[in-house]
Amino acid sequence: MKPVSFEYFAPTSVADAVSLLQEHGPEAKLLAGGQSLVPLLNMRLARPTAVIDVNRVEGLDYVREDGDALAIGAMTHQRTVERSELVQRVNPLLHAATRLIGHPQIRNRGTVGGSIAHADPAAEYPAVALALDAEMRIVGPNAERLVPAADFFVTYLTTALEPTEMLTEVRVPALPQGTGWSIQEMTRRHGDFALAGAAVTLTMDGGACSDARIVLFGVGATPLRVQQAEERLVGERVDATLMSEVGREIKTSIDEPLADIHATSEYRRNLAGVLTERALVEALERAA
Amino acid sequence: MAFEFPKSLDDLPVSKVKWVGKPVNRVEDPQLVTGKTEFIDNVTLPGMLHCAILHSPHAHARIKSIDMSRAAALPGVVTTLTGEDAERWTRPMYTTPQGWGGYVLATDRVRFVGEPVAAVAATSRYIAEDALELIDVEYEPIDPIVDAFAAAQPDSPKVFEDHDDNIMYQRIFTWGEVEEAFQKADHVYKESFRWNRVGANPLETFGIISEWDIVEDSLTCRGSFQTPSFMAMGRAATFRLPSNKVRFIAQPHGGSFGGKGGGRGTDITLMLSRKAGGRPVKWIEDRMEYLSSGGSQAWDRHYDVSIAVKDDGTVTALRVKLLDDMGATAEGFGATGAVKPMASFTGCYAIPAAEYDLTLVATNKLPVSPYRGMGPPPHNFVLEQMMDIAARDLDLDPAEIRRRNFIPADQFPYIIASGNEYDSGEYEAALDKVLEMAGYEDLRREQEEARAEGRLVGIGVVSTIEPGVFDWNAYTVIGTAGIGIPEGVTVAIDTMGKITARVGFALEGQGQYTVITQLLAEYFGTELEDVRVVHVDNLSAPPNFGPGGSRLGVAITGAVLGAAQRLTEKLTKVAAKMFEVQPEDIELLDGMLRVKKVPESQLSVRNVAAIMLNRSDMLPPDVDPSPQATFAWTAPDRVEPDEQGRVKSYLTAANACHLVMVEIDPGTGKVEILKYYIADDCGTRLNPANVEGMIQGALAQGVGAALLEEYVYDDDGQLLTASFMDYLLPTIHEVPFPEKAALVTPSPFTPLGAKGAGESAIHTTPAAIMCAINDALLPLGVRAKEVPASPNRLWKLIQGASDQ
Repeated sequence: MKPVSFEYFAPTSVADAVSLLQEHGPEAKLLAGGQSLVPLLNMRLARPTAVIDVNRVEGLDYVREDGDALAIGAMTHQRTVERSELVQRVNPLLHAATRLIGHPQIRNRGTVGGSIAHADPAAEYPAVALALDAEMRIVGPNAERLVPAADFFVTYLTTALEPTEMLTEVRVPALPQGTGWSIQEMTRRHGDFALAGAAVTLTMDGGACSDARIVLFGVGATPLRVQQAEERLVGERVDATLMSEVGREIKTSIDEPLADIHATSEYRRNLAGVLTERALVEALERAA
Repeated sequence: MAFEFPKSLDDLPVSKVKWVGKPVNRVEDPQLVTGKTEFIDNVTLPGMLHCAILHSPHAHARIKSIDMSRAAALPGVVTTLTGEDAERWTRPMYTTPQGWGGYVLATDRVRFVGEPVAAVAATSRYIAEDALELIDVEYEPIDPIVDAFAAAQPDSPKVFEDHDDNIMYQRIFTWGEVEEAFQKADHVYKESFRWNRVGANPLETFGIISEWDIVEDSLTCRGSFQTPSFMAMGRAATFRLPSNKVRFIAQPHGGSFGGKGGGRGTDITLMLSRKAGGRPVKWIEDRMEYLSSGGSQAWDRHYDVSIAVKDDGTVTALRVKLLDDMGATAEGFGATGAVKPMASFTGCYAIPAAEYDLTLVATNKLPVSPYRGMGPPPHNFVLEQMMDIAARDLDLDPAEIRRRNFIPADQFPYIIASGNEYDSGEYEAALDKVLEMAGYEDLRREQEEARAEGRLVGIGVVSTIEPGVFDWNAYTVIGTAGIGIPEGVTVAIDTMGKITARVGFALEGQGQYTVITQLLAEYFGTELEDVRVVHVDNLSAPPNFGPGGSRLGVAITGAVLGAAQRLTEKLTKVAAKMFEVQPEDIELLDGMLRVKKVPESQLSVRNVAAIMLNRSDMLPPDVDPSPQATFAWTAPDRVEPDEQGRVKSYLTAANACHLVMVEIDPGTGKVEILKYYIADDCGTRLNPANVEGMIQGALAQGVGAALLEEYVYDDDGQLLTASFMDYLLPTIHEVPFPEKAALVTPSPFTPLGAKGAGESAIHTTPAAIMCAINDALLPLGVRAKEVPASPNRLWKLIQGASDQ
């Protein structure tokens, strides 16, 4: 459980970090909270030649209101988000998702940017980023770009980030007043990665659904938006029967999820449906 | 002379008991909570090297060649080791049953994923691990033998070529008229169960620093040893060295639960030290090594069980057929876990006849090790499911069928069908206590209401025995004679009146040092601060074994009281001379030696001890100037097993009754523990806070076994749970904090009436939770027969029910 030898850098600016990425190429790894990278290093599953520790980079630790969105610095600890009254007020779904990440000790170290850039398909942040139409601010050698969540998560542990780019900020639109929301997940233990989960928003207008978002996590290579199910809801008076139908349809419609020792594909599909239904029920209760 | 141990706290030489039986703060804790305790990884010796071990990636393969040259050439690597060294310098590993093992490093063949193949010693662990990547091993894979049933077939491929088959041990024990009882039964119930591999997971894994003095050919090992003297003897045998040239210094360690075997790591580091000219070699087992190749795994069991029952619910016979998957070798004392259930085979019940059809089979998996409870927890799980199955069919309440079968309180001491003797117990009182605490009738009403709403709510009520204080004869049927079982202590009073107790076991977490401190402060009338407990190496300590088998609390209490009594006899002689009376005229009370008829003629223990050390002119001629005494305690009346393996092996029988209420989420299969109550009777509680800690910790392990923990191997014999991401230990969120009640039925056989209580609730919790789950599933007509009852498994069962 000792890593392979690597060079260690601790830049203090984004520009320096990016130029180190340029210098060391794809064999370099950024170290944020270290909650995933450090175990991978110790197990020698990750063998970077250079580790660029961005914990000393200034100006990446903030949560602020920016127009209709929350702007969150990539190096903001999850615990900061969890304790932020601003987040709780502007985006209770993001707040609730944060509380499901690991344990307080993990959230003390884990960062918003680290979780999203790592892109574990069972993690909460990528799922809510997709459900909430978050945008990732990415800084590269020559330019800065904003990538919507829908384009950011490419496949298992892989994002739109180029090897020379760094995620610096996550912009999360405010949850509109009156929009109901819920995040439901199934874990073996409190704080584990989800076997499956569902993040949902539901906007009701005059008794009918005007907008719905359903994002599953833990069942595919990336968080999975289920537009077909969303469309079943929009324009409808959402009741128990419909929500149950949507849940049932999800069980049969999603691509076969991966199986592991904790959950068969069949069981994961079932969870996706059950949790979606539960999330819809809760979101509907919360919708104005 | 024969010793008369105090039978209860009232027999202690004090007018009012001040320390023993009180929940005093643990003397171990200030150092632990301030980070001052010296664990093995905190120790650095001059010139020390670091070992890393190469483990087999194959479950079963021939080793065609090993080339260490590239590894040896890496700068920083001092020496390397392979199976050739082990063959040259050691005997094959000691196993039970005998003859089922190889060398500590594989020679011609590997038999499980994780088996040590080669090792290096380097100037840092980093370099040592780099060197492992430079070792070239050519393997020729062989089909692994993974399934226990297939392995037990006569035509199965073999784990050991020199054996006829994979059966390590097979025997049917018959106790009483079993066949007749089944023929005459009104009802016979049969069921099969599966207990998947679980095991010990202490906070700290195994660690060691070994030194081989190449001038005098002596060994010194410092490490996290559970049983240092036993380990030392093993090394003497392995390396063919005189046993007094093997010195083992146990460091304080972060728990063991049976998982700190460490024989391989010990011998590997010793040989590396020898090859490195005697330099100390450290090896700290990392967590992945512990999980895949250490003492982490136990109890991989397949059960077929039947019980014979009368119409009134009386159980007349029990048959248990066990196929126990031992893994690749018998090196880890895992086999003893299949024998220990004989110490409490029929649980709390007066079942007159029983049969144990036991098969131990070898497969290409990690050899199993002991684990807290040592085998009865899975046995209790199956026995208690059978009690519930019978209760349901006979329309009896689960509490009622147990009540009807309990050994009555007036029948103790009671010899159970399998031969062990239970010392005392009040099983019905414990059950009543739990039912009262829980408000059982209201709970059943609550359950009815929940069921009416379609919720899956269930209640389990389970009573079990915790056998405590094993002796030399406990495992002889499997070929393990007890070695060095007495537990000793030396108690000394110095010239300043302070008391030191020297023991042979290191701090491990259970709080025995606190108990020793309480006992000595009480006996000699001092404050707790006046007593210090130190552990010494195996060559300095009195005979000792250390913790294990819910044994040490009782054993060390006997040793301390014996030594205190011996020391008092010396002090008494000195005091008698001072007062010019006969020794029998002197008594010890509240720390004073006084003339019985003239109580104002008294001297403190401290003063008498100082006189002994400083004034030889005042000593009686038959007293040496040494206010110290040693005593090693062992249980009386321990003889060999009879021809059916029946033996009085465990001195005490603690009893616990657990009531648990669970709810299963039908959509996810997840179990939530709603309520939990415990009544526990371990006789006299020497330190009630210690006992409560034991219950709570063992309860956590029981929750883990019932719901979460499982070592999973795939069809190729690859371990799929080699980290805590996948081997799921319960966290504080999963473990309930039950309401607990203490009953006290003292043991008539032990000093002060205490019973072994260290293994505790793991005996009961898995059984109770599984009974509650099956009670919840009852309306669906399905039964959970496999632990852990994972959400996926329960969901599948529930699906099966709704598909019908």
